[in-house]
Parts: sequence; structure tokens; C-alpha cells
Amino acid sequence: MWLVFRKEIKELLRDRKTLFFMIALPLLLFPLIFGGVAYFSGKAIEKAQTKTLNYAIIGAENAPILSAKIAEVDDLSQVNTDLQSGNETGIKALITSETVDFVLVIPATFSDDILSVGQNTLTLYLNDAGLNMVQRRLNKIIDNIAESNRDQAFITLGISEEIQKGLLEPILVDKVSTADKRENIGEKIGGLIPYIIFILCLQGAMLPATDIGAGEKERGTLETLLISPIPRNQLVMGKFFTIAFAGVTSAMVTVGSLFVWGVVLSQGMAIELITEFMGAISAVDFLLMFAMLVPIVAIFAAVLLSMSIYAKSFKEAQGYMTPLVFIVIIPIILAMLPGIKLEGIYAWVPLMNVALAIKELIKGTMDYMALIPIFLSTTAIAGLLIAFCIYWFNREKVLFR
Amino acid sequence: MIEIKQLAKRFTVENPKKLSEQEKKDPRLKGRFFHSVQNVNFSCNTGQVLGLLGPNGAGKTTTLRMLSSALKPDSGQILIDGEDVVQNPILARQKIGFLSGSTGLYGRLSGRENIEYFGKLHGMNAQAINDKIEELAQLLDLSTFLDRRSENYSTGMKQKVSIARAVVHSPKVVVLDEPTTGLDIMATQTVIDFIQTLKVQQTPVIFSTHHLDEVKELCDTVTVIDEGTTKFNGDLDSFSALADGSLHQSFLTTIGKV
Repeated sequence: MWLVFRKEIKELLRDRKTLFFMIALPLLLFPLIFGGVAYFSGKAIEKAQTKTLNYAIIGAENAPILSAKIAEVDDLSQVNTDLQSGNETGIKALITSETVDFVLVIPATFSDDILSVGQNTLTLYLNDAGLNMVQRRLNKIIDNIAESNRDQAFITLGISEEIQKGLLEPILVDKVSTADKRENIGEKIGGLIPYIIFILCLQGAMLPATDIGAGEKERGTLETLLISPIPRNQLVMGKFFTIAFAGVTSAMVTVGSLFVWGVVLSQGMAIELITEFMGAISAVDFLLMFAMLVPIVAIFAAVLLSMSIYAKSFKEAQGYMTPLVFIVIIPIILAMLPGIKLEGIYAWVPLMNVALAIKELIKGTMDYMALIPIFLSTTAIAGLLIAFCIYWFNREKVLFR
Repeated sequence: MIEIKQLAKRFTVENPKKLSEQEKKDPRLKGRFFHSVQNVNFSCNTGQVLGLLGPNGAGKTTTLRMLSSALKPDSGQILIDGEDVVQNPILARQKIGFLSGSTGLYGRLSGRENIEYFGKLHGMNAQAINDKIEELAQLLDLSTFLDRRSENYSTGMKQKVSIARAVVHSPKVVVLDEPTTGLDIMATQTVIDFIQTLKVQQTPVIFSTHHLDEVKELCDTVTVIDEGTTKFNGDLDSFSALADGSLHQSFLTTIGKV
């Protein structure tokens, strides 16, 4: 059996294409994708924040201080207009034609003295569909004036600071979360991690699987292998372990690369957060995650090998395997849904139970008794599938289609 | 010495619509089963070369695959030196060296590694494998390319390595399924030379072919099968005596096409 395994691994290591997809791609592509997205979105936000905006004010004379403050800002440039505040069509046309980015309408009733007019309402016209920072940039100026007007009013009324706070927020709810940082982060990313690992295991196992089943048929080496005096089950197990090994390696390389690049790219605080978060998960929990992956990978490898040996050619094998990704995604997506917990029937559903358990382990809220149904169900299914694989390899109909 | 007695094999027809026109007319199609091989008999003695002839679809490959133990016969016997190997396929695999025309090599392994792998699968130790590879390299003139990756080999080189791989375990009988089909003249000559070497070494050889000149050059006995049944069994002289001088005519006579 190990003879077959060693030979398959040797062939795999010499296959540049497979190695590229298994190792080079996750090592280089993932940081490129994530880094690229982070870089360009950062650029876009920065641009929105610093881009010079054209604006028009209708009724500027009603609020001279406010108008003057806005005019003072460097990256806001005023465009004069003789539109009237009621002319909504005209205002909209002005924005649609991109003459201005926003129009601020100040009513004639505007006053800095709150005590005489009450609440002032300004109207801001803008195209809010795209990414823009108009309101945020404008609020910075308006909030300042609003606060100083409010403080002025409080002084006039002679209200103490304590009462001021009470008036502004009569009841304050102070939230204390009993979930620690780990549980909090775990809930957010815990569902994503099994998803990434499962799919990567499957993808990484797929290429070698097509190669050592359908590939042998296509190249005409299968018949010679079948008539060598090695028991069929050893032949199957040798191939099975190669696929499983490739799946695990590929997943670990990708996760490792994601982790390392994540640490490299995110600096300062984020590193502390990650190390603190990782430190909270015990070594036993990590080992358990790996242990649970073993039957999962075995299930994948057995299914892939059965498909591959049934197929007449590489192409046919890939055709059978592609839908498998969608089938695997379903239980993982279900496990991510809120309200689905590692209890009762869910603890017995293969893939889903492991996905839930990994999430629980990351959160630190694992009920260790659930490991019994998890290992029982996944190991039983993996065992059945391996047995099927061996039976499949003994069928003349499968081998000589 | 190898003897085949009343060998038979049928296949289940999964989807009758997919059968070719010719297969639908074939009398071997009975209900849900296609009786590919119905009654094949022949024997090959030490030092003899047997040529297996027959039209396409006659059941040659199925017969040879049963010999190689890749397929299990439904009935009949395969005796190698008096032992029935149908019940013990592992024994058959140890005693038979099998090479098909469509065989391939593991492209990412060198020729030597390809041969070594099968030597190990046959349970040979490293020293024995090395010695055997040296011997075969001399015989088949492999030494110039043996350590290069086999994906870059020419057809002739591939065929030579495939031959070496098929006989690395020093089999008692060598079975070749259309070993020269698709090969150029030089590669064909390699195969012919190799069969002659085996003959000298007193190893019985069974090979199927469509080339009657090869039969004339190599064979001591000839077996013709058609529609899964042996139609002729005899030595080369009695085969050529079936018609005047031409082996093609003799062949057509045996399958009743004259």
C-alpha cells in the first residue's frame, strides 16, 4: 500500500501544474486578492474623503455664519446659482448635470437662536447612490455650529451641566457583554473557517484524484496496474491516502498562507488582536479540529476516487466532480445560519456537525459530549465510502467501461 | 505450457440503444447479455509462439484480458503448467507477463522508475530489480534514455520500456495484445526481435495481431477466433495449407468468408 502511496506522491510532486494549483496559487494569489481588495477600497474611500466637492447654497443669506464656515473649507468649492428653494426640478437638474455635487437649502426661518425658533431644518440634495462622504464632511461643520448654538441656549436658560446631560439623554443604557472577546469574534468568523477549510480540502484533492483514477485509464496504465499481484484493497488504499494527503496539505498551505499574510498585512493592533484570539484557543481544541477533519477528508477522498475511477477520461471525471462542490457547500451554509446549534439531530448530520463544532471550538463554547455523535457519524460514513471504493475497484464494469 | 479450455465471458448490456449497428446484428447478443467469448480453446507449449487471429470484435482482447486476470471468466479453465489460475488470479499475475498495444507509462517517472515500480509490486527486492533492469537494458538497448522522464520518449522508446516492464518479474508465459498496432516499422521490429528472444529462452508467447506477415515470421501455431468461438487451431503449416499459398485466403477460409 505504501508502495503505491509513495509512487503517487512522487508523481504528484513532479507535476508542475498540480503543484502550482495546490501550493503556489494559495501562497501568492490569496494575499494578492485580499491585499488588492484592501488597497483599492482604501484608495476609493480616501478619494471620496479628499476629493474637492462643488456645491451650491440656496438661502445663504439666512445663515451667514454657517455659509462662511462652509466657504472656509479648502476642498469644498462654491458654485453660484440663482435657483430658488422651491425649484426642486432645477436643483435636481443641477446635480444630474454634475455641475455641483450637492445643494444645501437654508430656509428663511433659520436662526442661531434656538430659544426663539426651535429646531432648524436644512435640506441637502445629493446623489446618494454612489460612495460619497458628503454628509459626513458637511456634518463636521454643521455639528460644530449646532453644538455652540445649543450651549448658548443652555447658558441663557441657566441650566447646570448635569441637567444638560439629562436633557440630552434622559436614560442611558450601559451595555455589559458577558461574551468575551473570543466568543464575540468566534461567532463572526467561526462559520467562515470550516467553509474555507472544507472547500480547500476538496479542491486540493480534486486534481490528484482525477489524475490517479481517470488519468490512469486515459494513459493506459490502469490495466497493467490491475494485473500486478498487489491485492486490490491495498491499491485502493494507496491511492486513497494520496488524495487525502493532497487535500489536507492544500488546505493547510492555504490557511497557513492566509494567516501569515494576514499578520504581515495588518499591522499594530490587528496583530495583537490575532495573537490574543489565537492564544485563547487551547492546543487541545486545535488538535480536535484536526481530528475532526480526518474523517471529513476521508469522505471527500473516497467519493472523489470512486468518481475518478468510474470516469473514462479526465474530462468526464471533472464533470462528475464539479457539482460535488455545491453539494458540500449546502450543509456548511446551513451550519452558518443563526439559531442552528450543535444539538440533537444536527450533531449527527455529517459535514454540518463538524462545521458547527469547529465554530463552537473557536468560540470556546464547545459541548465536548457532542464529539461522540460527530465522530460516530463521520467515521461510519467515511468507512462505508472507503468500503464502497474498494468494492467499486473490483467491478469489471467500472474498470473497463 | 499454457492451456485454455472452453473459456466464456458475457457482459451485461446497460443501454441497448447505445449499441452499434454491427453489435445489434451480432448473434452473440442474447437479451440483456452480450456473449463476447463463448467457447475459446487453445494451448501453447514451451518455446512456442502462438498467433491469435480474428476480425475486430471477435473476442481476442477479452480472451487475453481473461488470461491476464484483468477480467474473470464466467466459465472455462486457464491452466499454466497444469495449475488452474482462474480461481487464483494472484498466481496468474505472477506467472504471466502482459502487454497491450494501448499500454502507457507514467509520464512523470523515468523509464527506470516505471520498471522499478512494477518490480516492487511483484515483490522483488531492490538488488533483483537492478540486475533485471541491467539485463533488459542490454537486451532492448535502453541505457541511453532509461533515466529520462518517459513523457518525452518516442513511440519506440515507450514500447521498449513497456516490454521491459511487462517481463521484469521473469514470467512463465508472455501475453501480448496487438503489440505492434500503431507502431512504426522500427518499433515494430523491436517487438518482433523481443518475441524471438523469448522463443530462444523457451518462454511461451501468445500474441494477437492483424498482420499476417508477423504470423509467418514468428508463429509456430495459429488460433483463429470469430464471434467468440475458436474456428481454427493448428500449426502454421496446416494453416497455410487451407488455401493456396496466401495466409489471407487461409484466414478468410477459417471464418467462412470465402
